Amino acid sequence: MSQDVSTGGVIEAIEPEGAQAGIVKKTLGPGFWLAVGWIVLIVLLAVLAPVLPLKDPNANFIDIQGKGRPPYGPSGDHWLGSDQDARDMLSRTIYGARVSLVVGFSAVAFGFTIGGTIGLVSGFVRGMFDKITSFIMLVLLSFPALILAILITSLMERSLLTIALTLGILSVAPVGRLARSASLVFSEREFVLAARTMGAKPSHIMLRELLPNVLIPMSALALLGTAVAIVAEGGLAFLGLSVEKGSTWGKLILTGAQTRQLEEAPWIAFVPITALFLTVMALNFAGDRLREYFDVRELAL
Amino acid sequence: MRRSLQRLAMVVLLLLAVSMLTFVAMNVLGDPLFNILGPIAGDTENPESIAKIEAAKAQYYLDKPLPERYVRWLGDFVQGDMGVRFASDGQPPVTGLIKERLPRSLVLMGMAQAMALLIAIPWGISSAAGSLGGVDTGPRSWRFLVPFALKATAVTYFAQSLFGSVVGVVMLSWFIALLLAHQFAETVPAARELVDGVNKTMSGFSSALSFGFISMPNFALAVSLYYVFALKQGWFPLRYDASDGFFTRMWQLFLPALTLALPGSAVYQRLLRTDLITTLQEDFILMARAKGVSKRRVLFRHALRPSMFSVITVFGINAGALVGGALVVETFFGIPGIGTAVVEAILREDFPVVLAIVMIVATGFVVLNFLVDLLYSVLDPRVRS
Repeated sequence: MSQDVSTGGVIEAIEPEGAQAGIVKKTLGPGFWLAVGWIVLIVLLAVLAPVLPLKDPNANFIDIQGKGRPPYGPSGDHWLGSDQDARDMLSRTIYGARVSLVVGFSAVAFGFTIGGTIGLVSGFVRGMFDKITSFIMLVLLSFPALILAILITSLMERSLLTIALTLGILSVAPVGRLARSASLVFSEREFVLAARTMGAKPSHIMLRELLPNVLIPMSALALLGTAVAIVAEGGLAFLGLSVEKGSTWGKLILTGAQTRQLEEAPWIAFVPITALFLTVMALNFAGDRLREYFDVRELAL
Repeated sequence: MRRSLQRLAMVVLLLLAVSMLTFVAMNVLGDPLFNILGPIAGDTENPESIAKIEAAKAQYYLDKPLPERYVRWLGDFVQGDMGVRFASDGQPPVTGLIKERLPRSLVLMGMAQAMALLIAIPWGISSAAGSLGGVDTGPRSWRFLVPFALKATAVTYFAQSLFGSVVGVVMLSWFIALLLAHQFAETVPAARELVDGVNKTMSGFSSALSFGFISMPNFALAVSLYYVFALKQGWFPLRYDASDGFFTRMWQLFLPALTLALPGSAVYQRLLRTDLITTLQEDFILMARAKGVSKRRVLFRHALRPSMFSVITVFGINAGALVGGALVVETFFGIPGIGTAVVEAILREDFPVVLAIVMIVATGFVVLNFLVDLLYSVLDPRVRS
């Protein structure tokens, strides 16, 4: 930087960010790694829950002599307090993460496999196939997602599989739309034309030329989509429509959200709310940073 | 014009597909006869039950093939008759139920969208104002003092009632110090640094806040707002009561509407901020500033309108998310709107009600987005060509 100070100021005034974009290397920033760290921590806690020295999430630790009637406030014994049945909130929240995270991740995995494939193919092939799939996606998108989710869950038994599948089906349309638009853009590029001229098979072009490029914007969407799926599961649980067995964050919040519980023991609701909020925020933030890093515009909506 | 007609045809086709899908799903996956009659639907021996089954089949057209039933339902629906409920007496009819429930939900969602815009526009403008540069309102002018005093009073009052009077006193002395710093910003370098530092912190705080609102799931937000403002502070009533007077009911809807509005407002604020910063780079803004138009007037009168595109687009899309949110919020706050109606109907497998509500919501959603499309040309004449 051997520039005169005044010239630098003028350049900055004309093009505040553009001037530096060429010089400064784009980074993901410490916030991104903080968010990723939190996600990794939660995933590790959820996976390792049975081997960690945690209290049994379903056991009642009633202690009539010492503390009287539950719920108990946070103490050395129960770090995050207990619920109205004297069950340990810390271990319930960690065990609740298992269901919430499994639903979130598997819903996104399903949506990406189906929606991503459909979008990729229809963006490349175009023609009739594209028109039909686009219309189906439009139909799926014009249902309010949560209504569709409760419709499906109410018609079937509510197991972990059906909930994850339902949310997966819901994510097919948005994922497919993005994959299609990305695939459309890249299909016009020179390297695809080159591959065509060299006589590559369509399947080869899609797998080797398009897929790696389409995957970049999709990685940001995957993180945002996981957040949406976790929230959707929580919403279903809050309406009493999520998995019947086991606890999830949404179910924990629901039990703590009764007026009596909120008055007596607000931590029953606010421990899972905090866990859910931080996880969703971490996923959103990491996804947002990735999107900025790769400069994907159409994801902003 | 031709494009609009094409889109309209698309909308109709879309709604037909949605209704067909829902209708078939509910008739194939569910068992309508069982939902009407209960356990006796499977009884084929007792002549009394058989008579009842025959009667129900005739009343609900269940003896007709599926396509015919669909056409019948569609014909009735477009004429405003949404059929009878799957209850033993079918009372009240679906249309009556919808007429009772829909206005409440519409008011709730309308309030939520209005609140979201009312919060987002000033928030977005103030967060983009920094990129305009230059100061034209001196620290002593009332244009600075009045908003500052309002802000200080509101924040102090909030802090005092939420966290106790010690925090309130600290906040108040902080604002007085800040005011003094503004007064001496031109002469004392340290005061200037303090003001700049505060502004920088506040813009970081504002973007963190908007990110927080976006990441807060609506049910968690509902519980939190309810806990803080209804239960602890007692500023808002605890429950909705349909028998109360009009203004009382509107007041009862405030907190639910705020729950729906906050995430939306954060989304709008972020979009508005980005678009405003782009608009503020344009020549006509420089021109206006050069003519001596005040910063505030440039922001509100010159820059705001051409920066509303993304907000308007997402406004339409957000309506869909709002319906999902209304479901949760109505259930939590006990508001008998269509959100609670659809949850009840799904749990009781009252399919005509579900079908009607899904259709109304889908129609509202696509029509709103169609209108948003038309609104573009009103906002920016360049789109009309």
